[in-house]
Amino acid sequence: MSTLKRIPEFMWGKNFPRLSIDYDKCTVPFLCKKCLQICPEAIFNVSRVMSKEKRLEEMDPRVDGEFVLHVTRRDKCTVCNKCLDVCPVDAITIEEPEFQEFNALKRDKKWDDA
Amino acid sequence: MCFYCDQFGDKERGDGYWYLNPDNYARNMYKKRAPKQGFAGAETGLETGAHAGPSQQDLINAVENNEKETFDKLQDLMMAGQGAQVVPLDHANKVLELCSPIGLIACLCRKGIRAIDERNEMEYTCMGMGVGMLKWERWPERYKGGVKFVNIEEAIEWNEEMDRRGFCHILMMFGAPFIGGFCQCDYPDCGALRNAVDFGIGTMKSHYLAMVDYDKCNGCGICAQRCQWGALKYEVTSEKPNIDLYKCYGCGLCETGCPRKAISLVGRETMPALSEVWI
Repeated sequence: MSTLKRIPEFMWGKNFPRLSIDYDKCTVPFLCKKCLQICPEAIFNVSRVMSKEKRLEEMDPRVDGEFVLHVTRRDKCTVCNKCLDVCPVDAITIEEPEFQEFNALKRDKKWDDA
Repeated sequence: MCFYCDQFGDKERGDGYWYLNPDNYARNMYKKRAPKQGFAGAETGLETGAHAGPSQQDLINAVENNEKETFDKLQDLMMAGQGAQVVPLDHANKVLELCSPIGLIACLCRKGIRAIDERNEMEYTCMGMGVGMLKWERWPERYKGGVKFVNIEEAIEWNEEMDRRGFCHILMMFGAPFIGGFCQCDYPDCGALRNAVDFGIGTMKSHYLAMVDYDKCNGCGICAQRCQWGALKYEVTSEKPNIDLYKCYGCGLCETGCPRKAISLVGRETMPALSEVWI
């Protein structure tokens, strides 16, 4: 559809950081909202729990488990660890990506032979 | 004219623009909207419309696994089920004259991404449109704090205030061409704008492009603060703004912000290389 691809070639196949949230510790993210507001890349997203019974009810951010924290844009995570520092319950863990040579920088055999 | 205009536009009414065609605001459009196609976004628990399409997680996984075909399929799914288009301010005001009812509501993208709870009618930064708004009481969490129904004059006044603050206007469709919402977006809080800037999918560009008249421009730099798309930057060499037209979405924020009227919107069809570039 588009003549211009927004994602550069070297991004395809690149490993991104993997973030996980301990939901036993993180229970009131909408009330706390520290990681949501400090993240420079805004990779988090908080939403109400979607269950059939509660679908049409109003949620209270002060009640445990009414809202859930998600990581929606881990491709933008820079592993700056600001969210780890600011989290009062240490619920976030970040798994750094393995080091990868960018596709664009991979050595071409022809150049080696020359 | 974009591919939505080809399908839903009317040459005599609304100059061929699909969103200015009164038929697209009729009550039966609400009934006719596309059935839900089981979007992957539902399982992440995101209730917002901007994330209800293919979830951003699927897009990221497609990039990580180097699956370009999956990525293209998700893009098609997104445009079919839920589309969006950027509109400049004067067209936005014309849209407000056509649709009814109009309700000011809290923004779900800001609620999700930055946990900003807009509970006050004065703080609302989103607009719901169409007869679907009349059923708002069914979803108390979505419309927490209530809906403020406004008339056309109030809506236009609110829209211009939003433009002054620096939000760009995006029409949201919930099953094309049913217009359900009118987003006031900035980066990175808005889902539709974010998908467009980061992935280049989801949101269509407007029918215009911004051009700078360098004779009128005095280089004050106000426009550089207002561009949400990364298209307009301050060119240090010439001390004037420079617009990358390949990135320009034609939202017109730089035009409305310019105190010397040095920026104007020109039709996209006047640029042969860009006339069919909508995404």
